[in-house]
Amino acid sequence: MPSRRRTLLKVIILGDSGVGKTSLMNQYVNKKFSNQYKATIGADFLTKEVQFEDRLFTLQIWDTAGQERFQSLGVAFYRGADCCVLVYDVNSMKSFENLNNWREEFLIQASPSDPENFPFVVLGNKVDIDGGNSRVVSEKKARAWCASKGNIPYFETSAKEGTNVEEAFQCIAKNALKSGEEEEIYLPDTLDVGASSQPRTSGCEC
Amino acid sequence: MRRPSNFAFSTYDSFINEVQDDASISWRKRKKHFFILSHSGKPIYSRYGDEHKLAGFSATLQAIISFVENGGDRVNLIRAGKHQVVFLVKGPIYLVCISCTEEPYMSLRGQLELLYNQMILILTRSVNRCFEKNAKFDMTPLLGGTDVVFSSLIHSFSWNPATFLHAYTCLPLAYAIRQSSGAILQDVADSGVLFAILMCKHKVISLVGAQKASLHPDDMLLLSNFVMSSESFRTSESFSPICLPRFNPMAFLYAYVHYLDGDTYLTLLTTSSDAFYHLKDCRIRVENVLLKSNVLGEVQRSMVDGGMRIEDLPDDRGSRSGAVSSHLGQPGHATYSSERFDEAFLGVGGPAGLWHFIYRSISLDQYVSSEFSSPINSRRQQKRLYRSYQKIYASMHEEGIGPHKTLFKRDDNYVLLCWVTPDFELYAVFDPLADKALAIKTCNRVCQWIKDVENEIFLLGASPFSWWTDPGNTPLPEFAEISL
Repeated sequence: MPSRRRTLLKVIILGDSGVGKTSLMNQYVNKKFSNQYKATIGADFLTKEVQFEDRLFTLQIWDTAGQERFQSLGVAFYRGADCCVLVYDVNSMKSFENLNNWREEFLIQASPSDPENFPFVVLGNKVDIDGGNSRVVSEKKARAWCASKGNIPYFETSAKEGTNVEEAFQCIAKNALKSGEEEEIYLPDTLDVGASSQPRTSGCEC
Repeated sequence: MRRPSNFAFSTYDSFINEVQDDASISWRKRKKHFFILSHSGKPIYSRYGDEHKLAGFSATLQAIISFVENGGDRVNLIRAGKHQVVFLVKGPIYLVCISCTEEPYMSLRGQLELLYNQMILILTRSVNRCFEKNAKFDMTPLLGGTDVVFSSLIHSFSWNPATFLHAYTCLPLAYAIRQSSGAILQDVADSGVLFAILMCKHKVISLVGAQKASLHPDDMLLLSNFVMSSESFRTSESFSPICLPRFNPMAFLYAYVHYLDGDTYLTLLTTSSDAFYHLKDCRIRVENVLLKSNVLGEVQRSMVDGGMRIEDLPDDRGSRSGAVSSHLGQPGHATYSSERFDEAFLGVGGPAGLWHFIYRSISLDQYVSSEFSSPINSRRQQKRLYRSYQKIYASMHEEGIGPHKTLFKRDDNYVLLCWVTPDFELYAVFDPLADKALAIKTCNRVCQWIKDVENEIFLLGASPFSWWTDPGNTPLPEFAEISL
């Protein structure tokens, strides 16, 4: 039994369309980058095995579509997530301002048992563009927002260059893991013999 | 989380699941996939491949189910070319079958129900509470080592008629032998055992339940599958929590399991978690009686002799008293032959081209099927025959238009004759060129034969829980009644 004890972690990636969610994932899982923009339809799913403190994990990454028309998929997609990654483009103020909406929407839809401490990670992507000259959201501003939301870990990334991508996902795995660690004994009831005689339905039920 | 039990399952199944994911061709070529996943898309079980490698595929399945659910609807079936994708949603547990076997939707759905109940047998439905508390709950550790239980159940979907008939079958035994094993089981049942079941492989020798407690045939199927597929039961006496989903899906019972010989095992079910030593004593008593009255020897003999053979079908009604285990029947009516089958069918098979039959007694929840004989020799032919039965059973019981009473169907492979009455169902398979009137007449002879030997092939009223009417009083329809 112990050999098969591997944990699966569900990671949701959210953020406005075009901020680079799919590119980050591709860089992380496949070590590839393409300049061409291809909108995600609904959601894409990728898996990646990670090792952390001598244990093996599988990250099940839900790369969602950023377009508003897909947001109705909410509950279905967010249910049972172990970690939520919020992505914005450091060159787009709008995408940063929307982080708040994404975060709130996620908490409403996924309704995690402990919303205060649900693990988020924020990624400011596309730091490579124009040598940083077209940047409109400062690192200071982003970190301040993260601090105000319960010290969300923050990374500045470039999916194109691969900057900080590995580090960010290591942190994501670590946080996802933290949230799912409580161990319990599984103990269903034992049949009470006094109330045991149930009427039976006989024959075939097809 | 862990299961509170003394499990020591073998894990050789993990070697069978060589590294396969949804991108590998060998995985895609599989004809029939089964998946269990949680409502958050976390994989729980996959028949082929490694669940973790299939995490992305599992997420896709959840996305499809949840997307339809979001619209206030439910997805039951998707057809894509030759493939059927069948969905079953059981609260937080999703089950999916992807198949290109052309089995009816009803059959595949029934298989998913059994798969779900097999999981409930291992964990009880209390597992739902874990998901209520925590949607991201990962069930796989709880099911550690049970892959082989699911795989063996799925395999039985292609050979065991109990999986679609919802009935069990008995090992043919002389009436007195079954009676004496029933008596000792009744004796231990009276000492606080809920169910005492003596089985040989998937066939029942005898079973007894405490007052008013009744066992559903599906539960028996799942319990015997659980016991037979778990190697550790064979090597020592075991005590394990199990749940009978049709009896009470929410709570555990405790099963004491002991193999008396290579194939014969005694299962004692109790509600008390500290009854191990009591049940051990019960088993020793049962074993002593069985040895003294040579039940185990008779069981071995019956296993060797087999059950009803179509070659032994008596001539006409009343011509013989019929003892199934003695196989005294004539060497077969080899009068019928066809050039097409000359080689395969050298004078074997039953009269009038009868090849095989299954008879299900409705009041007893039991069925009996004839032994395979020529030309149904190879595993492939047997599987094809099995699929035909499964298909015809589904069409006889189709919602809306069923149940039908009689059906005579001729295709390239067989003539199929089905006869459904309030008391029994008969499914008989003939040579594709068989004569219709003769086939009908033969079916009546089969029914008469079954009545003649019912003491030996069925478990009759051994305990208070089976509420059947005395079959002696059930008038057997005359053959004139089956008119098509």
